[in-house]
Amino acid sequence: MSDVGFVIAGYGVILGGLAAYAALLLLRLARERQHRPPGDNGA
Amino acid sequence: MTALRRNATIAWAIARKDAIAEVRGKQAAVSTLTFAAVVLLLFGFALGPDPRRLADAAPGLLWLGLVFAGLLGVGRFHELETEDGALEQLTLYPVDRRSIYAGKAAIGALAMLVLGALLVPLVAILFAVEIVRALPVLSLTVVLGAIGFAAVGTFYAGVTVRMRAREVMLPLLVLPIVAPLLLAAVKATSAALTGDPLGELPAWLELLAGFDVVMLIAGAGTYGFLLEE
Amino acid sequence: MKTRILGVAALLAVIAAALFGLYGVPADLNQGDAQRIMYPHVASAWLAYLSFGVTALAGIGWLIRRDLRFDAVAVASAEIGVLFTALAIWGGMMWARPVWGVFWQWEDPRLTTTALLLALYVGYLLLRRLSDDPARRATRAAVVGLVAAVDIPIVHFSVIWWRGLHQPPTFLSPDKILHPSAPLPFVLALVGMLGAFTLAWTWLLIRRYQLARAELAREDAVRGGLVRRASAAAARPGVAARPAAAARPGLPASDDGGTPQPKAPAEATQ
Repeated sequence: MSDVGFVIAGYGVILGGLAAYAALLLLRLARERQHRPPGDNGA
Repeated sequence: MTALRRNATIAWAIARKDAIAEVRGKQAAVSTLTFAAVVLLLFGFALGPDPRRLADAAPGLLWLGLVFAGLLGVGRFHELETEDGALEQLTLYPVDRRSIYAGKAAIGALAMLVLGALLVPLVAILFAVEIVRALPVLSLTVVLGAIGFAAVGTFYAGVTVRMRAREVMLPLLVLPIVAPLLLAAVKATSAALTGDPLGELPAWLELLAGFDVVMLIAGAGTYGFLLEE
Repeated sequence: MKTRILGVAALLAVIAAALFGLYGVPADLNQGDAQRIMYPHVASAWLAYLSFGVTALAGIGWLIRRDLRFDAVAVASAEIGVLFTALAIWGGMMWARPVWGVFWQWEDPRLTTTALLLALYVGYLLLRRLSDDPARRATRAAVVGLVAAVDIPIVHFSVIWWRGLHQPPTFLSPDKILHPSAPLPFVLALVGMLGAFTLAWTWLLIRRYQLARAELAREDAVRGGLVRRASAAAARPGVAARPAAAARPGLPASDDGGTPQPKAPAEATQ
């Protein structure tokens, strides 16, 4: 693998990892807010 | 001064109680020791029969054996307390929590010392290492290592007491923390065995002692919070 | 809303910093293109250390104030810290292979320390999963986070000695690249990446904090909070709507950067 290959692997996983975590976090947040305790929906 | 003496008395009482229970129980001591011996044998198999390589690896194997066996032992002294709600009673006494920690750490260190006293000769025999000349320095290293390991192990045993999956969690939490201890103890041991040609022995012993002091302070300072639960 | 603006800004900053690191900066004379990995690698490592510092401080905050919002900051910061630690290790490996010829350089104290750091805080997160009671979980996590934070410098120095007492380092280390005499574009690329990643970290921390608060509120509702609310509503019909607002208190507090307010809503502390 050339240097450029390692650069792509490095940037790809780091930036991709950040993006994946952020997306997953937003998903978890949305799901958690849907699960609001019963009787809370009117708030 | 009197407060200090009172705390020391309480710590002594706790350590004595655990020691008596352990001596009367016996099976825990025997199983821990056998475990350590088997681990050392397996290390020998894993590295092959080359005597040079085994002798070179001996300090590392000794300390890995001590750490693995110590993990078994240290959880034990807290497990004793969870039976019959003894820990709850212990926390009801109007005593300084630090003395409970000190007592537990003292008995843990003592157990590690006994283990070390048995494993060092075993390593010397199995891996053909000459230890007689290095014995004073080796003893000091084992003492410092035992104190440091007990300081960390006692604290984490307190964290994981009555926790789900504690058998997995205790090693998982303790092993990364004791990495510097392992590193310094192995280096000091191998320096002691080779007559310290590089003159690095004092530095490693200082690191060990520093680790002991920091972890004892951290453990004593935070252990009380765990008993409040 | 402010958090959303911060999120968009962080996204744009990270994209810009990555493009600058990949295309804007000339290749390093000694290391060639491989050196470009240094920018996100160092930025990730910086945020990993910052995260665990915040976790330890938030743990102290919980022990002193007994406000679960501190604990929410602690878990948010620890989880993000684990992410950045893993990314930093990956970046370090991708940098080490072309430059040093191996993925794992045992003689580099940073790499080894960071690996132990990852183990320490994965353990921290697992420990939290295994504790059900919020207050007990917070206390356990706080003391473990503290001891782990105390251990990190010892690990670092021991690994430096481990190597240093044997032979002086002969390889290139980031210190040399960050030397004051480094050409301006390199410094700019690194500072830009640090800034962009710190923005992203801040946004992640706020969102993860909100998630922690929402989870706490649900846990609270599940364990008897419902009963308490029902009786409170029966006793004082006028305030029946109040628990609903308290059940997601992370929302109004969301834009203050995750810093806990000194006073907790009654729901969280009981």
